[in-house]
Amino acid sequence: MAGLANVFGYGAMTNHQNDIRNSRSIMIIGMNPAENHPISMQHILTAKEVNRALIISVDPRFTKTSAFANKYVRIRSGTDVAFVYGLINIILANGWEDKKFIAERTYDFETFRNEIAKYDPDTASDITGASKEDLLWVARTLAENRPGTVIWAMGGTQHNHGTGVVRTYCHLQMVLGNMGVPGGGTDVFRGHDGIQGVTDVGGGPETLPGYYGVGETAWKHWAKVWDVPYEWLLARFKSKAMMEKPGFTVARWYEGVLLDAKELGQEANLKAVFFMGHSTNSMQQMDRVKKALEKVELIVDIDPFVTNTAVLPDRKDGIYLLPAATNYEAAGSATNTNRDLQWRQKIVDPVYESRPDLTIMVDLAERLGFKKQFIHNMKGDWKGVPATPMSEKDKYVKALPEQTIEDVLREINMGCLSIGYVGQTPERLKRQQEWGHVFDIKTKKAVGGPVDGEQWGLPWPCWTDKHPGSAILYRTDIPVAQGGAGFRAVWGPTAPDGKTMLSADGSAPKDGPTKGYPAQKDYAVDLTGESIKLALAEGRNPYGNGRARFNSWNIAADPFPIHREPIHSPRPDLIVKWPTYDDVKEHYRVPQPYKSMQKPEWVKSFPLILTTGRVVEMEGGSAPQRTSSWLVELNPEMYIEMHPKVAADHNLRHGEMCWVETPEDMDAKPSRIKVKVKITKRVGPDTVFLPFHWGGVFEGNSLAHKFPEGTAPFSIGESANTVTTYGYDRVTQMQETKTSLCRVKKA
Amino acid sequence: MKLIPTNGNGKFAGLNPELNRRNFLRAAGLGGLGAGLYALSGPSLLKEVEAQGKGEPQAPKLEQHKSICGNCAVGCGFIGEVQNGVWVSQEPWFEHPINQGSLCSKGAAVRDHVVSEKRLRYPMKLEGGKWKRLSWDTALTEISAKLLALRKQHGPDILQINFSAHYSNENGFAIRKFAGMWGTNNADFQARI
Repeated sequence: MAGLANVFGYGAMTNHQNDIRNSRSIMIIGMNPAENHPISMQHILTAKEVNRALIISVDPRFTKTSAFANKYVRIRSGTDVAFVYGLINIILANGWEDKKFIAERTYDFETFRNEIAKYDPDTASDITGASKEDLLWVARTLAENRPGTVIWAMGGTQHNHGTGVVRTYCHLQMVLGNMGVPGGGTDVFRGHDGIQGVTDVGGGPETLPGYYGVGETAWKHWAKVWDVPYEWLLARFKSKAMMEKPGFTVARWYEGVLLDAKELGQEANLKAVFFMGHSTNSMQQMDRVKKALEKVELIVDIDPFVTNTAVLPDRKDGIYLLPAATNYEAAGSATNTNRDLQWRQKIVDPVYESRPDLTIMVDLAERLGFKKQFIHNMKGDWKGVPATPMSEKDKYVKALPEQTIEDVLREINMGCLSIGYVGQTPERLKRQQEWGHVFDIKTKKAVGGPVDGEQWGLPWPCWTDKHPGSAILYRTDIPVAQGGAGFRAVWGPTAPDGKTMLSADGSAPKDGPTKGYPAQKDYAVDLTGESIKLALAEGRNPYGNGRARFNSWNIAADPFPIHREPIHSPRPDLIVKWPTYDDVKEHYRVPQPYKSMQKPEWVKSFPLILTTGRVVEMEGGSAPQRTSSWLVELNPEMYIEMHPKVAADHNLRHGEMCWVETPEDMDAKPSRIKVKVKITKRVGPDTVFLPFHWGGVFEGNSLAHKFPEGTAPFSIGESANTVTTYGYDRVTQMQETKTSLCRVKKA
Repeated sequence: MKLIPTNGNGKFAGLNPELNRRNFLRAAGLGGLGAGLYALSGPSLLKEVEAQGKGEPQAPKLEQHKSICGNCAVGCGFIGEVQNGVWVSQEPWFEHPINQGSLCSKGAAVRDHVVSEKRLRYPMKLEGGKWKRLSWDTALTEISAKLLALRKQHGPDILQINFSAHYSNENGFAIRKFAGMWGTNNADFQARI
């Protein structure tokens, strides 16, 4: 998301799944929608059938998606930058670029062109392993079949330079002029059902809801929305500095427990950890996670199921398990991968003693002394929350009513102005739910009825309660009132080199100023909504009309993405030429070494590339799926995919057990797991693949006996992340699980 | 009690003059076999079902609730069917603009998120190496006392909250507000893993 935001202004999928039906070429790179987003495949295959769209699958592994593709190109894991810049070089050499788009809507193409000249076809082929002929074929196909979309997921992002990889995908689409048009776009498919929405209106350690950051302006904005004095919030923190300093991430929080406090970006170590619908087997370096879980004083796991977290650590006390209700036992909205908000009705009341997460939060806030502020905002208290203590003996609140949840959404509508989460009111979402049948399948736009003209899901930005939503971002052929927009003018009117960051004359959404313009003053913090309305009245987009950036000057380490060999690279020769970053003293409160962790000698004892991914029956840490008898029957156990040559060289037969071992990294001994061999040519002879969904077995030993009685999943297995190694993105700290080095041994 | 397939009006499918395809299939015990078989079955079965329906007791009302599958970010719609407060079955939401009723294997098994026998049923804590059942009140009292004690000793940054990308927007928003009001930025979810 940081990659996209640093090019276009917003970190989100630009087009939508249904819109892929308009594509004429579809490059799917680092992504396997046939398994990870199966229903989106229906739209992709419709494009193939109806438009004769050409599907190109680029992946280290021949996936089920590759099986549907017109062309499969195998690249070495972690070499996307070289692959995509190789393509762009071929496009430029042949004059296939969209010169008008580049001139009118982008910034610093000339420098970019020189910067990427080094990825000539020979170099790109050497780094990636793709042939020059394939590179040419792909470049020509993308150029001759516009509009085309580029789709990716974690295969692109889980690298030490993942943010750079994402920017290269964006650059490809800018060069081809595939942005802001139906059938085009940069279509990152996100993983979890709530991940886009929770990124947008939740926020993480570096930002408050709505991407406001954690600076003073952000806190003051939210203090206003929450109707609490800024000083009160400030006093809740250790200091103003800590209030404005990004916290630990899920990728490396455990170092906050394990490292000496002197090495951390905060005074004390972490002593307590909450997991709320979050498995530990999806965390890289799970052997380190285990140690942290053994050292921390308090673990609270709030989940509908008993997760890996409860059984992983060897400890005798200090773990609480609280039964959370699922999303089907409470109402609420969720934003899907293409920014559509959809309302869920409650299907049943919370089962057994489980409770919805919001109810648990209110109860905890009460006991921790801030319920009054927590349930309040500038329009009053959330309706439905009892004034009496939540735990009052006879009438313990099991679940807050739907009106409480609606009030939280209204609070989001009040405050998340920056990204246009304004018009998605509970009333409008519920009305759409009743009128799903009037939405066109290709455009996702309603035809007739009370929702006439609205986009399904009111995709953000949806600026007012009359706005239809923006199904395709950065689209200038329609007015702002119908979802039109230029690129976000978030970098100011001029770049550091003095060039304009506003789009050229003639490139602007219809029915407004024809030239680029800066963002409407205060549109993101004016809680009256007047600033937004003023801009709309003049046909202007509140966030302005700017340029997409080839040069992201604020990312100091590489303003233009550079191919960086993985920390665990199988090519010592390329480490010399394309090393990873310099070590970083502190990133999200922990030291983040790069070069000192990249050891060219590793490949000698760990010769195979280890990559990870998903299977269709499972999702994430898969506590809910591995406890479903149906899904477990379809995909019962953990395995490793191995090329026939690797299997033969190690005298391994299909179905036998083997050990997978990875380098020692930060710990004294190598990590290892024992898994069943699946022999297949899906992977090449240099790579093995592990699905990452399993848990409940650690380094060959079952943990089944450690589950509370009757709660162990039907299927337990080794976690891939026990053996994934050190390596994190330079910007986001995304874990580098897609590229480790390993060796296999007969068990 | 035995759950009897009905239509949405709380009546037996067999007694309903507006017997539709799905109710017919359900009543005929063919629901899982799909439309192909229905096409072969012809009208004679229909009569038989109607005849069987007569004189039998009224079944509890079947409620339908629209929801969105939580297994990935595609956002497929489905309809959950509830009888007597129990989620008994699932129907396609054919008019849903994204999935038009279809679901993958995970979506087809989404009911298991709620009805799985493996659900955690009540609060528990690990004590002396054994899992012990607790009331919510006791669990939250103990947890909050411990948190407040740690906070007093070391400050608010001793807490890490790893929350969920499975959260609804409302939960995601609320937990970030919660972390801010507790006084830490140590709160994150699966977006970066």
